Amino acid sequence: MTLLEVEQVSAGYPDGPNILDGVSLAVERGQTCCVIGPNGAGKSTLLKTICGLLRPRTGAVVFRGEVISGLRPDQILARGISFVPQDRSLFPDMTVRENLKMGGYTLRDRKKLAERIAAVCAMFPVLAERHAQRARTLSGGQQQMLAMGRALLLDPELILLDEPSIGLAPQIVQQVFDAVARLRAAGKTIVMVEQNARKGLECADRGCVLDLGRTRLEGPAASLLADPQIEELYLGKRRGGDAAGTPPKAAEEPPA
Amino acid sequence: MTRRALVPAALVVALAAFPLLQLTVGGFNYWLHMLLIVFMYVAMASSWNLLGGYAGYISLGHSAFYGIGGYVTGALMTFGGMSPLWSAPLAGVACFAIGLPVGLITLRTRGPAFIISTIALLMLARLALDNTESLGGADGLSLPLPDLPADTQKLPFYYGMLAVAIAAVYTSYRIRHAKLGLGLRAIAEDEVKAEAAGIPTAMYKIVAFALSAVFIAIAGGIWGYYLTYLKPTIFFQILTSAEIVLMAILGGRGTVAGPVIGAIVLVAADELVVAKLGSTELNLAAKGAAMIVVLLAFPDGIVGTLKARGRLPRMLDWG
Amino acid sequence: MIDQLQVVILGATLGGVYALMASGLTLIFGVMRIVNIAHAAFMVLAAYLAFWAFTLYHVDPLWSVAIVMPILFALGAAVYRLLFARIADRRRYTEMTVLLSFALALVVEGVTGFLFTGVYRTTTPDYASDAFDLGPFYVPKGQLYATVLSLVLLGGLLAFLRLTRTGRAIRATMQNRAAAQLVGVNVRRISTLTFGIGTALAGASGALFSFLFPFFPSKHWQLIASLLALIVLGGMGSLLGTFVGAMLLSIASAVVSDRFGPTWSPATFFLALFVILLVRPHGLFGKKAEL
Repeated sequence: MTLLEVEQVSAGYPDGPNILDGVSLAVERGQTCCVIGPNGAGKSTLLKTICGLLRPRTGAVVFRGEVISGLRPDQILARGISFVPQDRSLFPDMTVRENLKMGGYTLRDRKKLAERIAAVCAMFPVLAERHAQRARTLSGGQQQMLAMGRALLLDPELILLDEPSIGLAPQIVQQVFDAVARLRAAGKTIVMVEQNARKGLECADRGCVLDLGRTRLEGPAASLLADPQIEELYLGKRRGGDAAGTPPKAAEEPPA
Repeated sequence: MTRRALVPAALVVALAAFPLLQLTVGGFNYWLHMLLIVFMYVAMASSWNLLGGYAGYISLGHSAFYGIGGYVTGALMTFGGMSPLWSAPLAGVACFAIGLPVGLITLRTRGPAFIISTIALLMLARLALDNTESLGGADGLSLPLPDLPADTQKLPFYYGMLAVAIAAVYTSYRIRHAKLGLGLRAIAEDEVKAEAAGIPTAMYKIVAFALSAVFIAIAGGIWGYYLTYLKPTIFFQILTSAEIVLMAILGGRGTVAGPVIGAIVLVAADELVVAKLGSTELNLAAKGAAMIVVLLAFPDGIVGTLKARGRLPRMLDWG
Repeated sequence: MIDQLQVVILGATLGGVYALMASGLTLIFGVMRIVNIAHAAFMVLAAYLAFWAFTLYHVDPLWSVAIVMPILFALGAAVYRLLFARIADRRRYTEMTVLLSFALALVVEGVTGFLFTGVYRTTTPDYASDAFDLGPFYVPKGQLYATVLSLVLLGGLLAFLRLTRTGRAIRATMQNRAAAQLVGVNVRRISTLTFGIGTALAGASGALFSFLFPFFPSKHWQLIASLLALIVLGGMGSLLGTFVGAMLLSIASAVVSDRFGPTWSPATFFLALFVILLVRPHGLFGKKAEL
């Protein structure tokens, strides 16, 4: 069953040009979809449009058969979509536990909140170990875990991950992809934008290539990985070691 | 002379000739007084605009220089026996010299912290004058009276203020088109980028700060002599700063004509409408309310808004 | 030695009140990046309310804290919605907030002056002119009561921010506005609430200073200049910094007042500000160049 459908969406930042120019994407329940493409292709913009931080100018976003484009971010959150932005968006001077509590801000039931925090800590034990530590003192990898954990707090059906491995040391990157694998195993549907295209596709069911605000290609992740043209354009030569196309840039798009 | 300069030039000639009416027909003292006030505010708003408009550094304490200018002029006259013709411009020079170190300190910050430090500057200056007994302390200082017949008594002040206003507007125009003005506008746009582009931002800002004190100081000097006395409560008012800022914003920050138009509109409004409210408290509230409306509805001011809509009359487009 | 300690005691017992005065300003700056120049104008307004409550109905100013807080809360929330919420996405936002609140301060001062005239006032409950004797020292009762109540209110504020869901949302919004939105915090509601709380704290401190020093409508300029100097010293947006800054400056100004006369005591705040700008432009507790 199709959980999320993005239909011919155009969108951009206020007073700016269209960054997305007719993007379409469909994600089945329980699948992981990795969106790849060069810098400025509109990958982050796509996620921000799905979660309501930006409104589509044309087209629609449909979630569980309901049109959700035009709703406020908190309304979309309540329908079961969580977003983990590129900058992780933690509360730096709050403890890990307080950050998790903020993830469940919309839950008014304290017991339910405690249960969910326990469930998230079971999935990411490091968060339980460091529950009293301030978020700003965590390592980059731990911060990413916390961001994911916080997004999991409301037990969303769909998780949007924006560049989860960005800015992390290579040996930490693997931990992050392991975490993504855990989310998959827990049955979550995931849409992930990844600069590290090869690694991203390797842990996804489907892949989608975005370029200049349009969907260029969509298909099973394995066949994208095997496509020589894609390999040349977006994955980089295999001999380049851990080639990830272009090196990650700090700010791909202007902040919202 | 280009056509663009025609309107300002005609205006200056007309204003310079205006006192002839007083000398020939008589009975224009009220108008001379009102125009003199307009000139004073034109000079001050244009002066403030060098820093607040071009560089985007808002000062709410520039009336400190108004007061210091008044006191320097007054002290040179009273204790030095100097003619105001010399002492007022000297006060301008003195405030430029004071402005450099003050700018050096306050401009280490930007945004709200800078604005706050300018308020603190004003408060400190006022405290200092309140407690300097040799300059009259809180009671103030009486100045020698100008020895002129009632008919022509206002004329030297009229021409003095007119000269300051012209000098301020001309300076503003020249700076806007000079390298300094370009640099300052780049700073207002994005200081980090301006710095990266090789603009000596620190020096430009400090020079702008010191220059913006000059004409305000001279205006304060002339005004003190005109009033014939100095008093901290009159010369170090934050309300004066508020008026200057409101005029520049109402007319259009960062434009040459904006502060001039803002000064004319506000002085006229003050005289025609607000003074009729009959209470200084309501006058104050009305000024605040006017400022709120301008900030919410026309943050670009009269000139800026018209320019953005392509509706700015040629005669107001001073570059 | 005893004289000097006495001066420190006098300064410290005012410090709590200064901390309360500045706490609302800090809170509002922290959550919304609004530098509220009108903060002290609200304080003076509240002082007049306390004065008339005392003069007409014999309400003890310590009790009128409970009356002015809700009134000022409503006023602050309304002002936020009517004015500041409208400029939330302007360019150079913080600078706009300074100008807007400056204009607001003029309006509040004008209205206060119109309603209550410009006469110097003080509330005169019995304890305002009384003191406790502690061996060689004395502690003025008025200052002591005011500081104790201030510390109670500050403690309440801290507990609210730390322990409640709404308080956590306020802190979250202070630390990362975008992230707060992301987890479902209605940032607009939180901002309105915070502005209301900040203004209510201004109201409480206004009622307290109504019996500590004489006031008149334009008194707020001197107050706000001191408070702003204080929060710049504390690093803007840090409640701890505000508290430490308030204590330090309050004691320092008591010392200056003792040495050079009371007219110079406000100068302490301004001079401290310039010294701080010279040596540490981001304040004692400031971290980033976000000023």
